[in-house]
Amino acid sequence: MTEAETVYRPHPEDHTFLDSNEIVINMGPQHPSTHGVLRVVLRLDGEKIIGSECVIGYLHRGVEKIAENRTYVQFNPYVDRMDYAAAVSNSLGYCEAIEKIMSVVAPPRAQYVRVILTELNRIASHLLWLGTHALDIGALTPLFYCFREREEILKIFENYCGARLTTHSFRIGGLQYETYDGFEKQVNVFCDDFLHKVDEYETLLTGNRIWLQRTKGIGVISAEDCIQYGVTGPVLRGSGVKWDIRKAMPYCCYPDFEFDIPTGQNGDTFDRYIVRMEEMRQAVRIIKQAVAKIPDGPIMAKIPKVIKPPVGEIYHSIEAPKGELGYLVVSDNSTQPYRVRVRPPSFVNLSALDIMIRGHLVADVVAVIGTIDIVLGEVDR
Amino acid sequence: MSLFRKLFLVDLIEGMKVTFGYQNPKYIYTEQYPKERPPVSERYRGAPRLNINPENGETLCIACDLCALACPENLIVVGWQRGGPDGKTGKKTLTNFTYDISRCMFCGLCEDACPTDALELTQDFEMANYSREGAIWDRQALEEGPRPTQYKE
Amino acid sequence: MPSTAQILDWLTIAKPYIIMGLVVAVWPLVSGYIVLMERKVMADMQVRLGPMRVGPHGLLQPIADALKLLIKEDIIPARVDKWVFWFAPVIPVLTALTAFAVLPFSQRYFVAELNVGVIFILAMTSIGVLGIMLGGWASNSSYPLLGALRSTAQLVSYEVAMGFAVVAAVMVAGSLDMVNIVKHQQASGVWFIFYQPIGFFIYLVAAMAETNRAPFDMPEAESELVAGFMTEYSGFRWALYFLAEYSNIFVVCSIATTLFFGGWLRPFPNVAWLNFLDWAPAVMLVGVGAGCLYLAGKQLSAANKIGMGVLGAAIIAVGLAFGVPMVIDYVSGPFWFLFKVAVMIYMFMWARFTFPRYRYDQLMQLGWKWMIPLGMANLLVTGVLILVKMQYWSAK
Ligand code: SF4
Ligand code: SF4
Repeated sequence: MTEAETVYRPHPEDHTFLDSNEIVINMGPQHPSTHGVLRVVLRLDGEKIIGSECVIGYLHRGVEKIAENRTYVQFNPYVDRMDYAAAVSNSLGYCEAIEKIMSVVAPPRAQYVRVILTELNRIASHLLWLGTHALDIGALTPLFYCFREREEILKIFENYCGARLTTHSFRIGGLQYETYDGFEKQVNVFCDDFLHKVDEYETLLTGNRIWLQRTKGIGVISAEDCIQYGVTGPVLRGSGVKWDIRKAMPYCCYPDFEFDIPTGQNGDTFDRYIVRMEEMRQAVRIIKQAVAKIPDGPIMAKIPKVIKPPVGEIYHSIEAPKGELGYLVVSDNSTQPYRVRVRPPSFVNLSALDIMIRGHLVADVVAVIGTIDIVLGEVDR
Repeated sequence: MSLFRKLFLVDLIEGMKVTFGYQNPKYIYTEQYPKERPPVSERYRGAPRLNINPENGETLCIACDLCALACPENLIVVGWQRGGPDGKTGKKTLTNFTYDISRCMFCGLCEDACPTDALELTQDFEMANYSREGAIWDRQALEEGPRPTQYKE
Repeated sequence: MPSTAQILDWLTIAKPYIIMGLVVAVWPLVSGYIVLMERKVMADMQVRLGPMRVGPHGLLQPIADALKLLIKEDIIPARVDKWVFWFAPVIPVLTALTAFAVLPFSQRYFVAELNVGVIFILAMTSIGVLGIMLGGWASNSSYPLLGALRSTAQLVSYEVAMGFAVVAAVMVAGSLDMVNIVKHQQASGVWFIFYQPIGFFIYLVAAMAETNRAPFDMPEAESELVAGFMTEYSGFRWALYFLAEYSNIFVVCSIATTLFFGGWLRPFPNVAWLNFLDWAPAVMLVGVGAGCLYLAGKQLSAANKIGMGVLGAAIIAVGLAFGVPMVIDYVSGPFWFLFKVAVMIYMFMWARFTFPRYRYDQLMQLGWKWMIPLGMANLLVTGVLILVKMQYWSAK
């Protein structure tokens, strides 16, 4: 019996617990809207939520422990499997962290390709979020439109590195694969089409009165609370804090590009929705700039054949689609990391779920879980 | 204006227009998979294959074991023997090669490590099997490539 | 040897029973095909193909589904209230099918001409709620219970709004008898939707809520309550709930057709130069048949080609038969009725695939704060107008 069960079962020996005023329901781990195997124990008064607790760990694979038994190069494919909706971002963070501890810099061409793919991945991740979020709120159709566009992105990934989801696209020190013929063109075509598609989603949702009623004022979290809980990413920006690691602590070649950081004011579900929609447009903007001035040159820095970073410890974080994704790598000058610790955005953001749903109704729980945009692979690791 | 929109449900009607417009069959995006096979990209990392030198029909693999060392999952086992009379000296030759596709994550590290392009991840993506043992491919299976049951009407 | 007159006599007596038997026998299949239509419409709107595997273009899918549901294991969870759990799904099916009795498919085809037909249907749909409530309660589980609670509140509150809308139409017709309402529309030459646009709108919204259709599908909102009151049901009992749901959709759409769209009447029934519209059933069926033949050519496998071809030929044959002047008289009524109902059902689906779902309390607000006051106002205005009209006439 988990702790949550002991805490929340009103009458342990009485099975007719319906007599009490409180209902305890287990949302998940097998529930259509908990996006995987999240389990939320809800205490309800009627339909109103008076308390909640997340039970996680159903997808724990010990990724951080695996790292200690793999070489630096070998661990690279595993990071893709944390946030599998944004595998490229994970890979970027990991590779850059190791590069940082080894004091090498990827060549410019590699950096540009990295930015293009990462931003494409940001769009893909947001599309997945939009589709499932809308589905949770009951709009069945946007999901398929989103997946259609996401498919185009996955095709680019497949053409580039041969895999669609867990791409293993970057290597420490640069890239394994040179871009293929027609890469720029395919990306540009996608970008041009995509902007119209975003407008279409907005017609379906943004103005819709039901959507507005379901999202405005739901799951409000203030900027102070966000900072208290360590919440990052679109959730933080939705609350009005202009914090984006791409600008605040630039990495890769992001300083070369112009883009805006969209923010909201109220910190409700609608603002986060608007922030993410705008982020997709900004991502397109970045991609277009990157494709236009992608330099020639090598794609791999000079790195030793066997990677043995000097003794030391480093923290490197990037702005993943879901928030700040950080890697703490401790090296003992052997071929295998001494310790790798991941700061997953979903996990930290999920901790704010409770304060966001208190006082709302059951229907809002799914809306709020959707708006936090979690991937359980990353929460549990 | 916004009152007009509200009163005459303009927001709802606009949404309905979008969904209505998509009913044209030309927008259909999905395919009937086993009947129509999507083309996969050239670089696709799918079923593994041990390449054979087309000129003399011998395997390209030099039994160097690099792929097995590169693999994070340790799922490749390269069996070899020395070519010399006492079995201890001489050129290494390949005897067996097992590859457990049930544990493989198709990351491509083994393919990158191979010095002779013997091991290659091909464009085949149909590797389903009825048993776990069937997912462990030996040298013969790797050289022939996967033979999935084809869909029939 | 009975005389011809006697046979005709018997037939008149037996007619309601024949129609009844026909409805009960064919309805499950038809509702299966409504589900297929829904899936296909959904697929089209969602840039997908939809069911394609069983038969040409998935045309045999409903049969496969029904078979699957029939042979599925019948799971009864431990600690459910067994008898109630067994019986609950039957109630909504019974009531929904009973409501069919007063639907006038045409001037000739109906089971009973009840002088309180409208009220009868409303009563029947209200009883149907019992099945949902009992099912949710008997399951002894939280999600079904919440679903049942929601559904009770929702159905009870929207019944009021629906009542107002229906009463307004009934006032214009001056009769509660479904057949008479249509006859009245025939006499006045105008569909009641033009008298009662607001009434129709209220009815539409209330009907969607009554039948648990999105955007009001609270009781079974799959992303919140898994499957609402049906969560613990599986196999055939589950299918019964679905049968009831689709029967209800058909019934409410039929009421809408009868009350607001002139039932079995063709558009502009009194305009003589539009008489060619009587050919519509024949033309439409031949068109559909031709479409099938066209698709048959595009099928990938021989079996599908033949199946589609035979289907197309059969539909064309029926269409040609419907073109015979003597037959037209018999088929045009049911054709127009069913056609209008189909369009209404399509509207329901269209809304479902476009809109997000309301939240439970918002639904209640919409019902009590908007629909019911609007319905009352509509009723008031209608009443005043009718009164003024009558005064005006008597003054003349
Ligand atoms: S693809 Fe990766 S996991 Fe699979 S055998 Fe090669 S190195 Fe190992
Ligand atoms: S790396 Fe290539 S050559 Fe070496 S053992 Fe593996 S397959 Fe053979």
